[in-house]
Amino acid sequence: MDVDEDDRVFRALADPTRRYLLDRLFARDGRTLTQLESELEMTRFGVMKHLRVLENAGLVVTRRSGREKLHFLNPVPIRLLHDRWIDKYTERQVSALTELKKKLEETA
Amino acid sequence: MKKVYEIYIKTTPERLWEAITDGEMRSKYQFGAHITSDYTPGSRYELGHPNSFVLLGEGENLEVDPPRRLVQSARYMYSEDVRREGTSRITWEIEPVGDSCRLTVIHDELRDGGDEHIYGGWPMILSGLKTLLETGELLTTPGSLMYDTPSRS
Repeated sequence: MDVDEDDRVFRALADPTRRYLLDRLFARDGRTLTQLESELEMTRFGVMKHLRVLENAGLVVTRRSGREKLHFLNPVPIRLLHDRWIDKYTERQVSALTELKKKLEETA
Repeated sequence: MKKVYEIYIKTTPERLWEAITDGEMRSKYQFGAHITSDYTPGSRYELGHPNSFVLLGEGENLEVDPPRRLVQSARYMYSEDVRREGTSRITWEIEPVGDSCRLTVIHDELRDGGDEHIYGGWPMILSGLKTLLETGELLTTPGSLMYDTPSRS
């Protein structure tokens, strides 16, 4: 993942309305704009704008089903961020705990 | 229920197809699991693991159109819970975009409210696939080593 992609994902996640939309899709995936709009106190245009930001970041993927456009949560970019930025920093803590466990068990 | 996963990988459709269908390559990013099949349309495939005496999963190759599209049925057997979920369907779609490929994995015909173990691993698998193809290396984050196998070390 290049820096531009990382930026797009971080920026898309840095907004409570967009995180709320992702949470709605997490609870039930594959929803139409109308269904998502009904859960937010926001204009249709506003919801569309937020969905577009999420789509550009790859966090939401749309598929057509007949005449409907369904929105799906794509957690893959979050996983990539996790592997690139989070797991890397928590790895040391995990190994430190493993060390500690080993030491404690040795002395026990 | 349907789940859709999408990822961009800097590679050719041919290399991506190989990484998906080749048992040895697959095991490097799918928790060490080996997939075995001859990939003729209608053929069977098996998902096994060197540390497991039983099959993890199996299914049929419903559509085989290299290097673009692979549709497979899937039944998992590695626990009582996933066994209860029965047969679902996995569609792999490869589309070249500039110097990369967009890979879409659609896992559908899933039971509503079913066991999320059978699709919850996709983001980690796809992240590992991207790392393998773009760097030739294996993901070594703690999460990806959860099901460590001898072939990794």
